[in-house]
Amino acid sequence: MANSKKPESSKVYLAELANQVPSSSRRDFLKKGVKFSTGLAASIATGEAISNNLPPNIPSWSKSLGTGVVSTPYGIPSKFENNVIRRTVPWLTADKISSISMSPIQELKGIITPNGLVFERYHAGAPTVNPDEHRLMIHGLVDNPLIFTMDDLMRFPSESVINFLECPANGGMEWRGPQMEALQFTHGMISCCEWTGVRLSTLLEEVGVQANGKWVLAEGADGAGMSRSIPMDKALDDALIVYAQNGEKLRPEQGYPVRLFNPGWEGNTSVKWLRRLEIGDKPWHHREETSKYTDLMPDGRARRFSYEQEANSVITSPCPENPWGEKGSYEIEGLAWSGRGKIKHVDVSIDGGVTWRPARLKGLVLAKALTRFSLPFKWDGAPSLLQSRAIDETGYVQPTLTQLRDVRGTNSIYHKNSIHTWQLHSNGKIKNVQLK
Amino acid sequence: MCNLNKSFVAAFFIILISISPGLFAADSGHFGIGKKPTNEEIAGWDIDVRPDGKGLPKGQGSVLQGEELYEAKCASCHGLFGEGEGRWPPLAGGEDSLTNDRPEKTVGSYWPYASTLWDYINRAMPFTAPKTLSISEVYAITAYVLYLNDLIEDDFVLTQDNLASINMPNEENFYIDNRPDTNNARCMNNCKDPNKIIVVQSLRGITPEQAQESSDTPKTTQSSLSETAIAGKATYTTSCLVCHDSGVAGAPKISDKETWTKRLEQGIDTLVKHATLGFQGDTGLMPAKGGNLALTDEQVKNAVHYMIEAE
Repeated sequence: MANSKKPESSKVYLAELANQVPSSSRRDFLKKGVKFSTGLAASIATGEAISNNLPPNIPSWSKSLGTGVVSTPYGIPSKFENNVIRRTVPWLTADKISSISMSPIQELKGIITPNGLVFERYHAGAPTVNPDEHRLMIHGLVDNPLIFTMDDLMRFPSESVINFLECPANGGMEWRGPQMEALQFTHGMISCCEWTGVRLSTLLEEVGVQANGKWVLAEGADGAGMSRSIPMDKALDDALIVYAQNGEKLRPEQGYPVRLFNPGWEGNTSVKWLRRLEIGDKPWHHREETSKYTDLMPDGRARRFSYEQEANSVITSPCPENPWGEKGSYEIEGLAWSGRGKIKHVDVSIDGGVTWRPARLKGLVLAKALTRFSLPFKWDGAPSLLQSRAIDETGYVQPTLTQLRDVRGTNSIYHKNSIHTWQLHSNGKIKNVQLK
Repeated sequence: MCNLNKSFVAAFFIILISISPGLFAADSGHFGIGKKPTNEEIAGWDIDVRPDGKGLPKGQGSVLQGEELYEAKCASCHGLFGEGEGRWPPLAGGEDSLTNDRPEKTVGSYWPYASTLWDYINRAMPFTAPKTLSISEVYAITAYVLYLNDLIEDDFVLTQDNLASINMPNEENFYIDNRPDTNNARCMNNCKDPNKIIVVQSLRGITPEQAQESSDTPKTTQSSLSETAIAGKATYTTSCLVCHDSGVAGAPKISDKETWTKRLEQGIDTLVKHATLGFQGDTGLMPAKGGNLALTDEQVKNAVHYMIEAE
């Protein structure tokens, strides 16, 4: 029957075929169209209103009342900030369930990433875990295996730390050459939060690790049962069992209700939705530490258990998303971090690494945390090659891309921490480039 | 007098206890929080397997059994011969490719241990319905993937006793992280010859679009969906999207309305039946319930309606 007439839209046509959509749908569709054009008109009107809001006029918001308390019981950012969102690169993975998104670090200030903007990495999607029905089990080579409820975990003394969390694939799209015209895509697989929880060492003392217990298997409650082998040294050093971030309970994306957190180490070791820790005498060599998260070298051999995120840095302003305008005074600003400790220095070059000058570290300078650097700059409009170079407290100097490629080739996917180059054009625009 | 004495002693005793340092848990070493799990609780969750075979449950599965299971539950993403569909991981091939410009890292060419395959299939596969395979199915599918990589013969029966003895060709080529592996110096002046700098530009056209729709026009267009379709959206997202969003393995893409129109000419009931019971089409294989047999018939029906109606 429906074949005889041309459909208004294929969607409506299909719905009619399926006999499931009320006949009002076409009207809805038209209404939506109308709504859209009304929206356009409204935004033009707003555009005019803006000029009326500038001095010497009194702005409209100064002559009216605003919204009342708890009009948004859980506050959200200003509608003018709706461009500050996580983004993904669709062609990077087969689907969005086992995939990654990036934090908009080009828009963020200070060192703390707001909870809704922390990058996401899922191996089987983010599960919805009921905290009342969630348990953390610790067993294996222990004297006293234990199973904890969330209430149990919160009775232990808690600690809070500010640490970055970074995917080892951050920057990994650019081993062979520059690909991404956006800071969010070149460096956005990193976030930094205040994490609160119980020291793993406290829980391990509670269960009594036996003398031959040298490794900890951490396993998630997600569909992937994400699992990693963690050496006992790290577990006893600074690993945390985390249930809160930036003052509130973990977000589902970050492992609600509880996750492991290994400061300074590649993000996937900080297993989310943590359900089980098994103590053993050897590593397990599971999929996410053999097939994935191992680093293939040019000789065909591969590094395993490459846990640490080495010192890295990037200029966040200017960047492709934050170009400069006319010549004049600007602040070259950026982020530096090291999984081995504190950032000691950051140097900035405007000539592609021929000469360097020290930038100022500003705000908190914490071990294994994002650190801000700043270098005020009077730009004369000349084209430039902007770089930053981090040095951490171990004395490690962030390598050039050539140095990294000389050792690792271009197929190791992970741990690309080389000096990054932005090409500043005389019109203030920034391009992502690499130097040979 | 006597009574008074007693209460004095009792009060003294209480004070003594309350100032005793033994009450501070950090000093005593134990908090006494949590309970001892039962053996059944541990056994239900203790699923991990190690290269030496520790953790493998008693069981077995043959290459032959694995072939049928693999084709029904795995091939739609990983390809009939383990070659991988779309961007889903290839499982076989790639021998001697690890030093190539484009290495192919598969179970046979890269994975160091066979136990990893058993463990991963058991904990995470099939992708849309993890932890639904029986122990013998995991053995059988593991055997078949090893067979696809020419690591075992076609008459092989994989068991808890022989899995650890299967040699993986690339096992010896892994080594412990030996970074730092670069030694850059903190040079400040004349660090390189400015005339020798070559600037490599980025590839154009692959950076995703970053413009964001105004939040004034929220994308809540669900009102035009039927109730059946609305009910099916969650199932679609968790169980169908994986193939039907990208069109992997010949699956009709949700956005390809022309294909759906053609399919619908058979009637909605036929479509639901194919989705529920499985169907071999011209372009690909639809596994029963998309491989997630935990779904109810109602959920599958709703998801089909969602896919037809969604924009």
